[in-house]
Amino acid sequence: MIGWPGHISRRALLAGLAASAVSPGAARAAASGRFAVVDWALLETVLALGLVPLAAPELILYRRLAVEPEIPDTVLDLGLRGALSFERLALLRPGVVYGSNYSAWAAPQIEAIAPFKTFQLFVPGEPPLDKIKAMTLALAEDFGIAGRGRSVVAGARAELATRRRRLASIGTRDVLLVDVGDANHVRVYGADSLFGETLAQLGLTNAWAGGTRYSAAAPVGIEALAAYPEAFLIVVGPVPSDAETEMRNGALWRALPSVAAGRFAVIAPCNAFGALPAALRLARLVTAALLAAEGRAPA
Amino acid sequence: MSRPKSDTASPRLPVRLPGAVAAGLWLLLLLTCLAVFALAARHSLEGLAPGFAGNYLAYGLLPRGGFALLGGAALGLAGALLQRTLRNPAADASTLGVGAGAQLALGAATLFAPTLIAEARSVVAFIGGGSALLLVLVLARNRNYDPVTMILCGLVVSLVCGALSATLILAGGDYMLSLYLWGGGALAQTGWRNDAVLIGLLVAAGLAAFLLRRPLALLGLSDETAKSLGVSTAAIRLAAVLVATILATTVTAFAGIIGFVGLMAANLARLSGARTPGTLLLAAPLVGAVLLFATDAVVLAIEAVAGTTVATGAVTALVGGPLLLWLLPRLPQRATVPMAVSFRRLAQPRAMLLWLAVLTFVAALVSLLLMPDGAGVLTDPAAIAALMPLRWPRLLAGASAGAMLAVAGVVLQRFTANPIASPEVLGISSGAGLGLAVLLVAVPFAGTGAMLLATGAGSLAALAAILVFARAARLGPERLLLGGIAVASLAGAGVTLVMARGGPEASRLLDWMSGSTLRVTSSLALAEAALAVLLLPLAVLAHRWLAVLSLGGVTSRSLGLSPTRAGGLLVTLAAILTAAATLAVGPLSFVGLMAPHLARSIGFARPKEQLFGAALLGAAIMIATDTAARSLAFPYQLPTGLFAALVGGPYLVAMLLRKPR
Repeated sequence: MIGWPGHISRRALLAGLAASAVSPGAARAAASGRFAVVDWALLETVLALGLVPLAAPELILYRRLAVEPEIPDTVLDLGLRGALSFERLALLRPGVVYGSNYSAWAAPQIEAIAPFKTFQLFVPGEPPLDKIKAMTLALAEDFGIAGRGRSVVAGARAELATRRRRLASIGTRDVLLVDVGDANHVRVYGADSLFGETLAQLGLTNAWAGGTRYSAAAPVGIEALAAYPEAFLIVVGPVPSDAETEMRNGALWRALPSVAAGRFAVIAPCNAFGALPAALRLARLVTAALLAAEGRAPA
Repeated sequence: MSRPKSDTASPRLPVRLPGAVAAGLWLLLLLTCLAVFALAARHSLEGLAPGFAGNYLAYGLLPRGGFALLGGAALGLAGALLQRTLRNPAADASTLGVGAGAQLALGAATLFAPTLIAEARSVVAFIGGGSALLLVLVLARNRNYDPVTMILCGLVVSLVCGALSATLILAGGDYMLSLYLWGGGALAQTGWRNDAVLIGLLVAAGLAAFLLRRPLALLGLSDETAKSLGVSTAAIRLAAVLVATILATTVTAFAGIIGFVGLMAANLARLSGARTPGTLLLAAPLVGAVLLFATDAVVLAIEAVAGTTVATGAVTALVGGPLLLWLLPRLPQRATVPMAVSFRRLAQPRAMLLWLAVLTFVAALVSLLLMPDGAGVLTDPAAIAALMPLRWPRLLAGASAGAMLAVAGVVLQRFTANPIASPEVLGISSGAGLGLAVLLVAVPFAGTGAMLLATGAGSLAALAAILVFARAARLGPERLLLGGIAVASLAGAGVTLVMARGGPEASRLLDWMSGSTLRVTSSLALAEAALAVLLLPLAVLAHRWLAVLSLGGVTSRSLGLSPTRAGGLLVTLAAILTAAATLAVGPLSFVGLMAPHLARSIGFARPKEQLFGAALLGAAIMIATDTAARSLAFPYQLPTGLFAALVGGPYLVAMLLRKPR
């Protein structure tokens, strides 16, 4: 392609500035702060590390579904995760772009713009939490803030442990975590999902024994939930409005053993394909829901 | 009761069973399926906690069985009413676009008016389905309500509605599990509410049908005769169509699109000996109830054993597709207005072609140099250099695909002498979709090479099916389209079945269907261009055939051209062009419909001129829509193929609404 003189000289300049970085190329560019992310898990992580990307995808939906960490107004929107605006990315001239295996499809186009680093985070059947921790540390390393990375991981571990101790005092152990597709179908988060692993960190048992598929969550009819009558059923928002009516009034929903016994709660939206911040948000929401239910139930 | 002598609503049927024997057979089928349902129900109750099992039976399984019977009856009655009223034995909620229209309205309401959908689901579905049907009928009016044209219009309206629904899913961002399941028609229930509504509705509709049975019998006669007997045909038709639409859209609101049940019910009832309109209106709902219940019992058994969700609505379409295939050649033909002949003729087509070439070039230049958000033209050389490697592959692939689709459209419209013929309705692109669906079920993460092979094999298989069907039924060129319709319906049902599984294969399939040029790499763009350069001259070489064939079979034979062989070659060329274009812009762009028409109305009268004109227009349309799709909502972008369909759909409507002079 046609080389642009200004471009080259700036790169050279940046390379000189970041001479101390451990790994060449990506690390140097990252240290310069001119980077973009094309996946929400990476977006959450860089924000938690105190870094601000140039751009990230689907910010409108992120603010509705993933909610936290909050995104600074300077971050530009890259459009849908499945239809990234390469044009905006190209004009921003990031030094490096980070993504997960969900954004690997865009590699041919992104690699023509900047070095593209992807992390294998969500592989069906493989628990993602350790991979997410490793990704957090690797990112921090890239930006020359390895210490910050270690403290984010340690902080997450400590926060989960605190909530685990808090939950040890209540009787509830078995939990089913689902989100609602329509009035008759839900997706269950299995043990190999971020949410499933977070439950385990909280000392809770993911009651779901069935297999999981795509998204580490199995789409099933709601009657399948009745196979776990002792479990506390937690619905992760948002719930479609017609399904919500059915959940409140539908005969079959009300007959579900968990719902009938009052072991049932709807919590705020949370990003199922997030990173440590999403895990902590889920842990906080689940703990609050279980404690509130315990508070209402007779001792 | 006066029985009309010539029943225009009946196709030529080879066999009619004595009524009593048929009724006995239907009863036997119902009993068998009751047993299957009971076994499947027992199996799925086994794993449940004892306390809940009773509840699941009472509020889940029994309402589901009831819904299958009631919904089947409603669709059967709707089918019988529509077929009688429109004098078209292939009429059904799913073949006339009612289901797709209702689905679109529900999808839009889910996104934009969630409270409305919770409060008034059936009303939303009725408005959507009713509008789609109205559109189909208005479109078919210009061709004298010819049954074949009506079904063709229904398919086109369904495809446009489907494209809009897919756009909504993609724009919504969160991958709407419910829409997938819903599109495939799932009968699961969580209580008796829907059943209760359907019972009330069926009683009211049954009463209306009872009152309408005599006037409807008179509709079999010509309108003049009916009028002389003191019947207002318009009022009766309106009442019957209204009742049918309410029935069909209510079922759609509760359970999604359940394809072809009405079509099958009314025709099988006729085969079983229901000859008068009165008995047909009674028998069709009964047959419909048994059909849907039988399908759902089998689906329930599969679900109980395999533990996966299967879309009942797509299964009925898979069963109904072959029936449509059998039925279509037997449709009565009505005198039709030939393709509008009064298009003006250019004095200097070459000059106009030159202008079009300049226009296409300017469009390409604008597309390359427009600012990303479309607010102006790029002047910064650095920005141009950064964007060029992203833009030229999209541009080249889109333009090549547009030209190929346009040429395929000219070939098909010329050959079939039907203005609605286009690659989309020929079933070739649906076949490509089915090929891809089968591959992705087997290998969810298949690579691009395998995907190319699968779509190619799918299109060729669809083409072969259409040609075999056309030969077996000894169809004239116009009716070759019918094979396309049936193949499109069948392949569409298969794709829906895969989509409803909701796995990674579903989202990849949706990507492909949306026709996003975003993922076009430079190598694919070059391949598309090479295919266009290779194939388009072949079409130009065949322009004399097109001219001769449009003179009719006898004339062309006397000129030494075998219509069958030439037609087969032309259709094969159109199929290959379509399959190649589909790789870049997806199956649903409607450029193959639009560009030939624009070329014709500009005044390119001779086939050769029209081929060149349409190719340039197709390329220009694709370039323009691709640019708009990328810039309008920057940085959010619509898939190009779908965006083109959003332009093409309204164009089609506007064009067909013009009265032939």
